[in-house]
Amino acid sequence: MLKKYEKVLKYRRLTNDYPFKPIDNTGYVGAPAILADKCQKCRICAQNCPAKAISIDNDGYPNVHIDQCIYCSLCADLCHAQAIFMTESFTDSTSNKANLLRKPMIIEQIPAVDTEALAEELKTKIQKTLRRSLQIREIDAGSCNGCDYEANALMNPLNDLERLGITFVASPRHADMLLVTGSVTRNMHRALLQAYEATPDPKIVVACGACALSGGIFRDSYATNNGVDSVIPVDMYIPGCPPRPPAIIYGILKAIDRIK
Amino acid sequence: MYDYKAHLAPSATLADEILKQLTKINEQTQTKTAVIRKNGNEIYLNTTTTNLRKFNMLLNHTHRLPLTNLFCNDEIAINGHFTLYYTYSHHLQNCHFIITVPITPEEPNFPSITKITPAADKYEREIRDLFALEPLEHPNPTDLIYHGNWQNHPPHLRKSVTDLSQPPLPEAKDVPEPALITIDSPDVYQIPVGPIHAGVIEPGHFRFTVAGEPIINLQTKMHYTHKGTEKLAEQMTIQQGFFLSERISGDETFANSFAYCLAAEKIAKAEVPLRAQHTRIILAELERIISHFGDLSGIAGDTANLFLASQFNMLRIMGYNLAHYLTNTRFLRSTNKLGGVRKDFLKGKEHGAVEQLKAIRREIIDTTEIAQNDTMFLDRLEHTGVLYAHTAYDLNATGIAGRASGLDYDVRKNHPYSVYDQFKFAAHHLDCGDVSCRFNVRLSEALSSVNLMLSVIDGLKDGEISVPLPDKLPPYEYAYGITEAARGENMHWLMVGENNTIYRYKVRTPSFCNWMAVPYAVNTNLVPDFPLINKSFNLSYSGNDL
Ligand code: SF4
Repeated sequence: MLKKYEKVLKYRRLTNDYPFKPIDNTGYVGAPAILADKCQKCRICAQNCPAKAISIDNDGYPNVHIDQCIYCSLCADLCHAQAIFMTESFTDSTSNKANLLRKPMIIEQIPAVDTEALAEELKTKIQKTLRRSLQIREIDAGSCNGCDYEANALMNPLNDLERLGITFVASPRHADMLLVTGSVTRNMHRALLQAYEATPDPKIVVACGACALSGGIFRDSYATNNGVDSVIPVDMYIPGCPPRPPAIIYGILKAIDRIK
Repeated sequence: MYDYKAHLAPSATLADEILKQLTKINEQTQTKTAVIRKNGNEIYLNTTTTNLRKFNMLLNHTHRLPLTNLFCNDEIAINGHFTLYYTYSHHLQNCHFIITVPITPEEPNFPSITKITPAADKYEREIRDLFALEPLEHPNPTDLIYHGNWQNHPPHLRKSVTDLSQPPLPEAKDVPEPALITIDSPDVYQIPVGPIHAGVIEPGHFRFTVAGEPIINLQTKMHYTHKGTEKLAEQMTIQQGFFLSERISGDETFANSFAYCLAAEKIAKAEVPLRAQHTRIILAELERIISHFGDLSGIAGDTANLFLASQFNMLRIMGYNLAHYLTNTRFLRSTNKLGGVRKDFLKGKEHGAVEQLKAIRREIIDTTEIAQNDTMFLDRLEHTGVLYAHTAYDLNATGIAGRASGLDYDVRKNHPYSVYDQFKFAAHHLDCGDVSCRFNVRLSEALSSVNLMLSVIDGLKDGEISVPLPDKLPPYEYAYGITEAARGENMHWLMVGENNTIYRYKVRTPSFCNWMAVPYAVNTNLVPDFPLINKSFNLSYSGNDL
């Protein structure tokens, strides 16, 4: 019994303060960026990408489709000219899929990662629009379970999403938001549709992970759809394979911002 | 009393002696036997459908070698027939007998062995679905992978199927009810659960048949996350397939990529440098403890012991932090590589890693003490969800599930791969097969993994971290890569095609075997104990469904 109290006293609080305070994102493996002035158009990246996330545009430059990217950093390793590098960004979530196409840039154009606090106003916004709470139903529509483990990690002592008034619920009928992972396999197709219909309006759908965005590495298989938006409308896209917990938090909060 | 232990003990007969007996069976039907020894411990041996059941009887019953894998390969382009590969593992002699049986396309069927060897059930149905080869006299020849919403599907793993487009989803009313047993009695009721479950977990359908309080039957319907992984692999190069192998099951990323690399490296006959081997062991063990802590926390959480649950969750976070510290990733993705490891992850970080590991070790020891003094908690675990040893053997339950039921088998010990044989570490097994055994085996295993990591770091020597593999691997060469994942024995079989592509990639994760065992452990328990029992196995749906 004493040991128990000793632990309680020793580890008073593990929870970090994101999104109210900035987070240290050093070492995060984020989306790749291509440097236009270094690229020699050799196409080695496009030929080797396991997720076929790199296409060649009319000028012969590689473009990265972040929605398909599995963040494996193989392109950065293969590029002889060091024209590709992995950013440390985790805030690429967007409501518009077109934003996920990355053209080659010069270094000054690469947006700085917004690790800053997401502000108190969001919390007030949640409290206002949703009357104190946001209820999420997580649906695995055929993921590899990487994304699910990260969604699970949102509730661990470190991230503890409940401190923001966000909880995961058991039934879609209680949910304001569906957090969908996986590419929507044929066998899950109908179940996902039914869950979507069971969720009361207004509802938000957040697609989480490369699979949910585009099918990821499982794209064009005989057994899956190419992402959640080929089945139900999606309001927010969180890229990553899997996205880190702060990236998911960021995406969820950004999605709430869209509720009128 | 029935001495199940003596009955289950695998025979110590030498591999050569067994080979002789098998050849004799073939001689009786004038079948010529070709024995191919490969990759150290794989023994390939051919037979015919006529002799198959005799072979199975001899290996699985007389010598008590478990059926560890069974798959089909479409070799029509190579030699004009399909080939079935039956793998029986001889754990005491460190070898695998792989029995190959040709099946001609004109006669697309094979004798089922499920009635004698229940472990074959799902494999045979898988072959029936994906290759359209019929297992004759199978007791339950129903669809496994294709649910009712696939009408007239082609057998996708046949090479002749190149049109991968999907017909439109049929109307809900046209989808037949799943072929599950219903019981018509006023005293018995059924509870359907899933595919979408209450928690943040993967999808699967369970149907409980309940009489009063106890569950009298549980049927599972899986493959909701079937993504066609094996067919996808056949469209990839060896290099790209590596990244697919990482995504078979998220939390077993490293164990799967490790198995894939082992297979490819065996084919290439590559010598992986020692430092890379050591790094791999450290990462594999790190993945193991992270997974174990998650399961332990889940078990504690399902008994409503929130203090213990948080304690194990904290340990898991410490594991993830160490993973991030060493590799900048949480799931150890892109850390492995064909021929070695991607970077020298431990360089300059040995000291930091040792410090963190020691902190984890201290915490494990303290938490174990707290758990073992909590009688109310232990009461909930003991005698709950018992998986008997003979069931575990029959279904080839592997990993923790097997070891908690008395099957003393660990790939790292019995078929050592990489350089596991150079290190001393304790392997644990218990006999009762209940949740408490699975809890305790996990806990002791986590501790011995931490100790193993510490001793590997201690003996770390400078050196290369990878060797390049040849640009082209020899076509139609094949090999097994077998690792011990956190959930158990993980078998990947790889055959190379022309131009460094994958011809066939068969993945058998531990979850595939252990899902067959869960219904037996659940029987006669109360419905509210199901989450606890399920958690104590903690199986991957994605790894099962592929
Ligand atoms: S995006 Fe990556 S981690 Fe997420 S489900 Fe797909 S493969 Fe797994």
